[in-house]
Amino acid sequence: MMILVYLLLSSLIAVAALAARGRRTIHLAGTLFYLVQAAFGAWLFAGGGCDGSAGALFACDAAGTLFYVLLVLVSFWVFHHSETYLSECDLRQTRTYFALVMLLTTAIAGAYFASNLAVTWIMLEATTLCSAGIIYHRRTAQTLEAAWKYVFVCSTGIAMAYLGILLLAAATKCESLSYDAVAAVAAQGSPLYLKTAFLLILCGYSCKMELFPLYTVGVDANFAAPAPAAALISTGLVNAGFLAILRVYRLLAGTEVFGWAKSVLLIVGVLSLAIGALFLRRTNNYKRFLSYSTVENMGIAAIGLGIGGAGVWAAVFHVVCHTFIKSSLFLQMGVVRQVYNGYRINRLGDYIRINRVGAVGLLAGMVVVMAFPPSPLFISELMILRETIAAGKWWLVGCMLLLLCIVIYSFCLRMIRLCYQPNQDELHPTKADKALSWSALSLLLAAMVLGLWQPEALRTLIDQIAAL
Amino acid sequence: MILSLVILYVVSLVYLSITERFRNFASIVMLQGWLLFAVAMLRLHAIAPLELLFIALETLLFKAILVPAILFRIIRKTKINRVRTSGTSQFHALLLSLAALGVSISVTYYVADPTVDPVFFGVALYSLLSGLILIVLRSRLFSHLVGFLVIENGVFLFSTAIGVEMPFLINMAILLDILMSVLMLSIFFTKIDGKIHADDADSLTNVKD
Repeated sequence: MMILVYLLLSSLIAVAALAARGRRTIHLAGTLFYLVQAAFGAWLFAGGGCDGSAGALFACDAAGTLFYVLLVLVSFWVFHHSETYLSECDLRQTRTYFALVMLLTTAIAGAYFASNLAVTWIMLEATTLCSAGIIYHRRTAQTLEAAWKYVFVCSTGIAMAYLGILLLAAATKCESLSYDAVAAVAAQGSPLYLKTAFLLILCGYSCKMELFPLYTVGVDANFAAPAPAAALISTGLVNAGFLAILRVYRLLAGTEVFGWAKSVLLIVGVLSLAIGALFLRRTNNYKRFLSYSTVENMGIAAIGLGIGGAGVWAAVFHVVCHTFIKSSLFLQMGVVRQVYNGYRINRLGDYIRINRVGAVGLLAGMVVVMAFPPSPLFISELMILRETIAAGKWWLVGCMLLLLCIVIYSFCLRMIRLCYQPNQDELHPTKADKALSWSALSLLLAAMVLGLWQPEALRTLIDQIAAL
Repeated sequence: MILSLVILYVVSLVYLSITERFRNFASIVMLQGWLLFAVAMLRLHAIAPLELLFIALETLLFKAILVPAILFRIIRKTKINRVRTSGTSQFHALLLSLAALGVSISVTYYVADPTVDPVFFGVALYSLLSGLILIVLRSRLFSHLVGFLVIENGVFLFSTAIGVEMPFLINMAILLDILMSVLMLSIFFTKIDGKIHADDADSLTNVKD
């Protein structure tokens, strides 16, 4: 009940922002929105909803709580950065953008807390609507093209996922589509139907998790959306896709098709890692570059799920830490755009002299995303590699190491170029907002702290999420 | 009765693969809307009256009247009448569609299970494949839009065959179905033609690496 009230209240505030007549009103609506988020978060931590009982539509569990906290943190930073980023936009565009960011945050939170397969689907479909508006924010031909592709591919993918959900329901003959109810009878379902359902759901939700095969729309979305919003799309929304797939993965844990599902995840993970690694070399746009890094990292998470055992824990931890790192890098990119008014890799340079804090943030982000200590990704990737070696899958170890080498090379090349290569003559850099660089850096510092020390509460939450 | 409606639905999908005129596309989408309305009424007559009314209104007003009307309006406005002649020939498209039908029947036969209605499962699968074939083979955006609507119709048809949590699931799915389709149609109708002047997917290649 409380979750429904929260969703309703958040949506109302977001809609109210659409009627704002000034920037102060938008700011006020934003403050109110994040106060509601904070109050709901406090209620969650006070144990209000986490009594283990699942509601018909929504329920508070470890996964929902953990990812919700991350979402609110990122969303708050995104809102804060967007205020500067959009300072030159007209009021109509600005209020639409902020209302959509708030609605997207609410829809993602709904997807996190959904205790029912259909509700997860509905919330993910709602995120498509909100994201499309954000992608089209600049009203240019390019953003229109990206928005069209996003809506079209996501809708088709989500329709396929819905077919999978219906098939899962039919195969298990379950009275309800709640995760608990389906999990209880999933073992009795026809293996072939379960496999087909899993394939359809994985394929459909891959557009949200930015995994092979429908990763392209996510990359285009991050490219076209304003950089702060891209931080939300490539972390909060990607996490929603991850959680949706993780919940279906857990449903199948007690069935005879579980081994097959893990193999599919391994293949999808390796393909995503390969695509991410190879396109990191090819792209000439920093936002697309970071998006392919998301594809690569989600590939690693999928491999973690595919390996199973401690790999599941590592996959969840990887996604949690990726949220901090990638949002920090996208927010830093927002500052880069403020300086150069563009993201073209072959033209930008000398950033270390223009904005030292931002450049340090990007270089530190580079080290962390490449999984060098004290990066938390070092821990997760090491755990996944250890599990892979223990499983005797040497071909997978070889593939992963080779592709990770390409990733490291690409990141070093691109980020060092941005910071140190001579700037192009035609560019006339403007002054950077160092305060924004500092605030983006704080997210990266949080990730580095997690690399050195994981709080007991976090470990417990991930233990609960990873328990099959 | 339901079986004959479903067979007619399958025939409409086969015809969709060979026709090249957009007016026929819109007419088929309208026919499918009427068929879905009839199937929903026959299968779901036992559910609560209010919920049945919602589904009836959605299928009749939205799928059978509103969406086809918007499609006809787009055809009039953009003055695009047929798929590009340089695309796949009708014969090859028909072969591919029949192959998809064969695959759907084979898969349905292979995975036959008493828990799932094989007719609805097979037709939904064929609808999904037909929509995807249309999206892949035809280069004009209008065909892609029709492909998406065909996929949505297939999913809706299958959802009427499922008994769980009915009709809540269908209602919610329909609601979002409406939102997404209207959003896509409105983007197509109001934005793409005015801003990009693109009627085929080949023109939408600015966002790439």
